[in-house]
Order: sequence, then C-alpha cells, then structure tokens
Amino acid sequence: MNYSSMLEGNSHIKNWPHLKNWVVLPLLILFCAFLTNTIVIFFCGYNPFRAYLAALDVIFGSPRGIGETLVKSTPFLMTGLSVAIAFRCGIWNIGAEGQFLVGALAATWFGTKLAAYLPHTAWIGIPIGIGFSIVAGGMCGVIAAVLKITRGVNEVISTIMLNYIAINLVSAMVDGGPLQETSETGPQSNPLYAWVKLPRFFEAHRIHPGIILAVILAVVLTYVLFRTTFGYRLRAVGEGPEAAQAAGISITRNTLYVFFLSGALAGLGGAIELMALAPHLTKNFSPGYGYTAIAVALLARLNPLATVASALLFGALTQGAFGMEAEVGISGKITWMMQAIILMFVVAATSLNYFQTKRHSE
Amino acid sequence: MLLEQTLAATINAATPLLLAALGEVISQRSGVINIGIEGMMLMGALCGMSASFYTSGIPLVAPWIGILSAGIAGLVTAMLFALLAIRLRGDQVIIGTAITLLALGFTQVVYQRLFGKTGSPKSVPYFQELELPILSQIPLIGQALFSHNIIVYLSFILVPCVYFFLFHTQPGLRIRACGEHPKAISTFGSNVVKLRSMCLLFAGFMAGIGGGYLSLADVPLFTPGMTAGRGFTALAIVIFGKWHPIKAFGAALLFGLGFALDARFQASGWGVQYQWFQMLPYLLCLIVLTANSGKIGVGKTQAPLSLGKTYDPSV
Repeated sequence: MNYSSMLEGNSHIKNWPHLKNWVVLPLLILFCAFLTNTIVIFFCGYNPFRAYLAALDVIFGSPRGIGETLVKSTPFLMTGLSVAIAFRCGIWNIGAEGQFLVGALAATWFGTKLAAYLPHTAWIGIPIGIGFSIVAGGMCGVIAAVLKITRGVNEVISTIMLNYIAINLVSAMVDGGPLQETSETGPQSNPLYAWVKLPRFFEAHRIHPGIILAVILAVVLTYVLFRTTFGYRLRAVGEGPEAAQAAGISITRNTLYVFFLSGALAGLGGAIELMALAPHLTKNFSPGYGYTAIAVALLARLNPLATVASALLFGALTQGAFGMEAEVGISGKITWMMQAIILMFVVAATSLNYFQTKRHSE
Repeated sequence: MLLEQTLAATINAATPLLLAALGEVISQRSGVINIGIEGMMLMGALCGMSASFYTSGIPLVAPWIGILSAGIAGLVTAMLFALLAIRLRGDQVIIGTAITLLALGFTQVVYQRLFGKTGSPKSVPYFQELELPILSQIPLIGQALFSHNIIVYLSFILVPCVYFFLFHTQPGLRIRACGEHPKAISTFGSNVVKLRSMCLLFAGFMAGIGGGYLSLADVPLFTPGMTAGRGFTALAIVIFGKWHPIKAFGAALLFGLGFALDARFQASGWGVQYQWFQMLPYLLCLIVLTANSGKIGVGKTQAPLSLGKTYDPSV
C-alpha cells in the first residue's frame, strides 16, 4: 500500500474534503490521543486534570511560556520538514536524528575552530556555519542515497545505522576527541565564538531568528514542492517511479536531490539549535528530534506548511511536560508517550480512511 | 585471564541480542519488519525487574516470574504492533518507530511513579551464575563458557530449535513462504494475517525476554533507556546473519564482542576512544548490507521478498 496514495484518500467526497482532511480528522486524532493519554496518566495514579492545568499554565500562562513554546517548536519544525519532504517523495528517511547531529557537529567544528581564522563578524560567521551544517547534513543523506541507488540498500535500515554512527561520532568528538572543550570539565565542546552565535530578539526571552527562518523555509518548500516543475518531478518519482521514468524523469538524480534536501534540512535544524540556544555541543544534544519528526510530519499529512502547525503542537507538548513534571511529578518524558500515541492514531486514522475510500470506490 | 574475561563478557553481552534477534528472524521471515524491538526490550526490562521485585518474597521463583513477565510485556507491545500493522495495515516502519517512542516514554513515566522517590530497588532477586559441573573445570575456556546464568544456556539451546523449526517443519515452511509470496501461501489455505501476527507476537515475546535479561541478570537494575540501541543492534544482527538463526548466532557473538571490547576499552584507557568500538557494529552492518545487495557481492541478497510490505487479503 503506497502511503502517498492513501494521503489523497477521500477526495471523492466532494462537499467538504479539505475541511475533513485538514481540520476534522486531525482534531479527531488529537482528541483520541489525549483521551488515551489521560487514561494512562490516570492509571499511573496521577490526577490528569491537575497535570493538564499545570501544562496549560506553563504554555500560555506567561509571554515567556509562549516564547519558549516557539523556541522548542523549531527543531521539531526543521526535522519535521526533513521527514515530510522525504516521505512525500517516497524516501523513507529515518535518519533525521543523525543528520541533525551531524549538522550540529559541522557547525561546532566551524564555530569553535575554523571561525577563529575568519573575520570576526556575524555577517560572515553565521552564513558559513549554516552552510557547513547544510552540506554535512545533506552529505549524510547522500550516503544513504548512494547506497540505495548503487547497491539497492533499503534506506530504512541504512539511515537507522547512520543514526547510531552519527551519535557515536558526536560522542567521540566531544568526549575525549578533538572537539572536547579545552578545560576538559565534561563531555562537551567549547562554546561557539560569539560571531557564530545567532542573536536574540529580546533580553529576557530565548526567541531567535532561526524560528523565522524555519517558517520561511516551510513556505518556500511548499511552493517548490507543489508549484514548480522541480517539485513536481520529486513527487512524481516518489508516487509513481515507473510512470516518472517513462516520462523521462531521472529517478537516480531526483532520489539524490531528495536525500540531500532532507538531510540538509535536518542538518540546518541542528545548526540553528546549536547556534541559537546551546552553550556547547554535548553527547546528548538531540533528545530524539529525528524520531519525533516522523510523528510531526505525518500529523501534518506530509505537507510542509501544515508541519508548522504540527511542530507548534509538539513544541507546546514539550513545554507543557515541564509543567506536569514540576507540579504533579509526572516524568517529563511523557511527551514521548504522547507523541507516540498521536502517531499511532494517525496511522490508524489513515488506514481506516483508506478502507472507507476503497469501499466507496468499489 | 584477559581472554577469559573478554570471552565471558562477550557471551554475556551477546545473550540479550541473540534472544531478540531469534524472534526477529522469525518475524522478518514471515514478512514483518519489526523496528519496535528496542521498545519491546525496554518494556520487558522494566516489567521483568518490577515483577521480580514485587515477588521477592519467594526468592527462588521471583526471577522466573520476572523473566516471564518481561516476555509478556514484549508480547503485549507486539499485540499493539500487530493490531496497527497487520489488522489495520499501517506502515510497519512508522509503527515500529512509534512503538519505540511509546516505550521510551511509558517506561520512564511508570519507573518514576514506582521507584522515582526511592531509586532503583537494591534487593531484586536475579539469575545467579550457574557453574556447570565438570564442563566449567575445563582449563582456559571452562570458566568463560560454562559459568553463566541459566538464561544464557537456554538461549543457546534455542538457536538450533529455531533453526529446526524454521527449516525442517511445516509451520516453518509456511512462515518462510509467507515472507516471500504471501499471496501464494494464502491460496494454499493459510491465513497470512494470523500467521504474521503469531510470528510478530513471538518476536515481541523474545524481545521482551531479551530486555528482561538486561534487568535481571548480572546486575538487577533498571535505568530508563537502558537498552541503549540494543534493539536496533538486534535488527542489524538479523541482516548480518542473513535471516538465518545460526548465522544470526554468529553475528550476535560478533556484536557481543563489540560491546565487550567497548566496556574493556573504557576500563583500560588504551588510547583508542571507546566510541569507535561502539560505532563498529553499525558500520559493519552497513558494509555487509552494501556487500550483500546488488548483483555482485558476498553471496546473493537473502532478504524475504515481501519484507515490510503490507499484505492486503482483498487484492
């Protein structure tokens, strides 16, 4: 069963296809997911309503909370875009996690070593740092692409393996390796030079220009994917490789493009996170952004623009979990559980929708 | 001395990998790629440790109750997988990722609830080492090979059993056919949905036991996220072992050696960073995949033909 064909599910329901697909269905999924989550919290012996109230307070209670939600959404948005583009084009890139890390690693290498030899100005430091991360993340994707194209290696397996290689690579670099901080107090890199760090808009908030960059990218990607020949070719290869090839579209070249684009987006996400927020690159720099990204992208029905909304939701969940942990004592890792439950309901809803469509069309 | 210790550590590290990989061989042979092993192992690890802790009043039976609960925890998780992937025909890769994410969050929440205030309990009954008489007296390798807990021996016995089942019995033949041409086996009157579900449940049970081994043997301890990628390593082992139980056994020992060396290097401080050794299994897996795929290479591709493909009985 082709996932992208399921997405176009029930367009035959003429009256309200958009409302149903983009509003009712996602809301229904979220409702079911929250209900399940509430039940789990309840049976774990916590008071779900106190937990949710605490979460809402942390998210919406103050301007700072809203700002933090935006800040926490950004890595979800970048990795979510990476996954959305890949899946949309029929590439099962599970490697956003590794590409995110490699992007951050490249930015760290530039930001703590090379940047010293360049003019000490943000106008040069930031673009080159970002460029490094884009190339590094992209190349990480290209490895999987080359293995797939030349040797037929399934990208699901190869990208999972590359994730673990990347995790260990980061660890090797910052824990006893060449990028460890000079004072060697812990397994982390030196802080980036000031002229490689992204500025902040306000003194008291962590809101940074990377958020705006990510949203702009989402808009641009939507345009490119759905309104240009280039994007059409990418999607065509994903949705019907035989037909695309018959129409003279190169599968090899477009597969390479998709892998590079997907890897570059995740890598850029890593760099933004590092250059805007993190004081150092640490061993556990990513709390599984690349895996959560799959839920983010699928909830957005693999549409880059809708990924913005879905990333905001996941950012809010992460922010809300802090409140739950502080007020009620539930482990903050409950976000992972909620994300997984949402993901499962998305899968179930997509399948049921597909069955329904099939029954209608038969 | 060094050799002995490394050998013993290798076997110890290989056992949970082997247990999970044996289940995964069966599941992948039937056409289901279970990326949720990591999650199933985590569930097993938490359930195993807690079940043994809460039955610690009967110290002889408690570890057995623990390891059985671990298996059941894995099995229940696999049921969720089967419901979504086989009944509802969702995508196996996505569901596997969701299962792992779910288990990571769920175990942490439950662990914090049960043991958050006290920390991991100290007095959990666990599987003690069992020196086999005579055999453990063999010089050089005796202590290394025959002084392990009982689960190690059982899992080693299981290897030929799974091999025999898969290649020399009729259900085994059906399972293999199911992974190659589900349509064909369905024409012969087998129920593909049922067959695949059973294989998946077995994989979940084995992964759960593998997780239980981590929290019930050696050091009875659960820490959140303790599987640390072992589930994905088991996935690599299955591929490395070409979907064959005995080759997977060899692969598990090789990857176990990787884990053992890595622990050794961390302790000894010999100039080489331990992370490179941790990276090795995954790198090996990539290399083997590259060498095995395509037209030329070491042996031909042996992945089941419909591995990871959703089966729709109505088409």
